[in-house]
Amino acid sequence: MNKDESTPRKMFDFRKKPMQSADDAAAKNPKTERREKFYADIREGETLLDITDLRIVFKTDEKEIVAVDSFTLSVKKGELISIIGPSGCGKTTILRAIAGLIEPTGGSIRIGGNECKGPGSDRGMIFQDFALFPWRTVRKNVEFGMEIAGIPKEERSERAERYIKLVGLDKFKDARVHELSGGMKQRVGIARAFVNHPEVTLMDEPFGALDAQTRNIMQAQLLRILQNTEQTIIFVTHSVDEALFLSDRVVMLTKRPARINRIIEVPWPRPRDRSDHDFVEMRKAILDELEKENVMN
Amino acid sequence: MIFKYDKHNKYHRFARTLLITAVSFVIFVTVWWELSVLANTPAIPNPLQTIDALINLIHKGDTFTGVSLGTYIRSSMTTFIKGFLMALAVALPLGLLLGNFKTLNELATPILEIMRPIAPIAWAPIFMLAVNFRTGPMLVVFVGIFFPLLTNITFGVKKIDPLLVDAAKTLGASQSQIFMKVLLPSTIPYVMNGIKIGLGIGWMCIVAAELYAPPLGGIGFYLAEQATAGYWPGAYAAIVIIAVLGLLTTGVADYIHRFASKRVGVEV
Ligand SMILES: Nc1ncnc2c1ncn2[C@@H]1O[C@H](COP(=O)(O)OP(=O)(O)OP(=O)(O)O)[C@@H](O)[C@H]1O
Ligand SMILES: [Mg+2]
Repeated sequence: MNKDESTPRKMFDFRKKPMQSADDAAAKNPKTERREKFYADIREGETLLDITDLRIVFKTDEKEIVAVDSFTLSVKKGELISIIGPSGCGKTTILRAIAGLIEPTGGSIRIGGNECKGPGSDRGMIFQDFALFPWRTVRKNVEFGMEIAGIPKEERSERAERYIKLVGLDKFKDARVHELSGGMKQRVGIARAFVNHPEVTLMDEPFGALDAQTRNIMQAQLLRILQNTEQTIIFVTHSVDEALFLSDRVVMLTKRPARINRIIEVPWPRPRDRSDHDFVEMRKAILDELEKENVMN
Repeated sequence: MIFKYDKHNKYHRFARTLLITAVSFVIFVTVWWELSVLANTPAIPNPLQTIDALINLIHKGDTFTGVSLGTYIRSSMTTFIKGFLMALAVALPLGLLLGNFKTLNELATPILEIMRPIAPIAWAPIFMLAVNFRTGPMLVVFVGIFFPLLTNITFGVKKIDPLLVDAAKTLGASQSQIFMKVLLPSTIPYVMNGIKIGLGIGWMCIVAAELYAPPLGGIGFYLAEQATAGYWPGAYAAIVIIAVLGLLTTGVADYIHRFASKRVGVEV
């Protein structure tokens, strides 16, 4: 993997080198190895994901709904981008298209220069409603992707164990999903996605189902996890506060069809202080703008 | 000392259930007895006569044919289990297919809807005569178990959470991996529910089918034989055996269903 000590961008400073042993483990698997070799020449801060002129139209019996239109965005490796926008504007649709779960009507989605066709383990996803497999234990949920990739058993359990520890669930690794609280469930969701070393992780309001306090804890914990593993993340949220607290850039969408209204660079180093004057000011400015977007026509 | 019932104490709850069951049983026996006295016909023997016949059956077997009770039960159970396994072997793959492929389901629905309301026992004379007396009863059981099983499995496949399928896809799963690792486990409780309902119906079918199949024997045959001979307590003894075995079958099915639901973490 690349080291990025020479990268001048301050906003990536808080991230250290990725967990070396986890990557060694991944390299043993030929499938993963090929992929990591291919993308290894993309350095942190260089473009990883390229979305051009994305257009998504849903057809129903009565009408056509244009959910996303002329959506263009470049995501750099190692970046955490938030997407915010009015309810129903097409945020989930964008993420699902990147994940390959729906086919775009037009435009292109490229990862490392390659056109994305259908879903794949290079694009992980974390769901608002967790989407954990209820018949599997925490450990078995985390191992799912590695089972699929045919990674040997010992390596699987070793890697799963490490990521379960990383999200702070070692005491619950043999628990079943229904025995966990919402916050714990989403930590399993995070471990299940990150353990496969996806190139990009798509998070669709991952903390939306949690209460305010758990949500703040989860945000802090996510940042802590990101310090230990190298991840590129697209994070959909309704909360301006959450977006400002976490991201390098905030993408503001228009009402449906989703187009980019504005992209805001968040300049402060992490960890950030929510009560900081600049933070409060910026949050207010964005909220005002969102409200305007909602009221307009 | 005044006893106070505490509904959160499981021993109290157990004692209560026991007591209520006992009272219910006493009422049942009393009503039966009164009825046999009032009706005053040999067709309704009193409980004591029935128990006598039952003890006799257990000790001496069928005095007409010399066949033991154990042989009759084994014969009924064998037919029952064969019919059940056959139904499972056909309904499981078919249910998975119908749940998965919409067009196939639409194609099968009219046929299934015509066949379903036909009482399984209506097939008995046809199966006995057209096939034979050995496999006939098994086929009746098959029909009885097949439909509830198929309906439940198809329903279970359709009910699968699409988010779980999406999650599996984003973790790199292929269609066949989704089938093995997501679809199959999440339908297990529905399969079990179908088995539970199917076993109840199947047990009714086996006894009824045996009435038509003298050469096969079985507890249903014994019932018919005793009633035909006008030895009513013997017929009632057979009914008691049928009830007890039915209770055991559904009890086991219920236990397996609950165990599977808990293991899989999905309630049906
Ligand atoms: N499968 C579908 N078929 C038809 N219309 C759809 C489908 N999925 C989404 N839509 C429509 O596309 C639009 C965008 O939906 P989407 O779920 O992407 O919005 P969102 O921004 O994620 O909303 P929210 O903030 O409520 O999560 C909505 O109007 C929705 O009704
Ligand atoms: Mg959404």
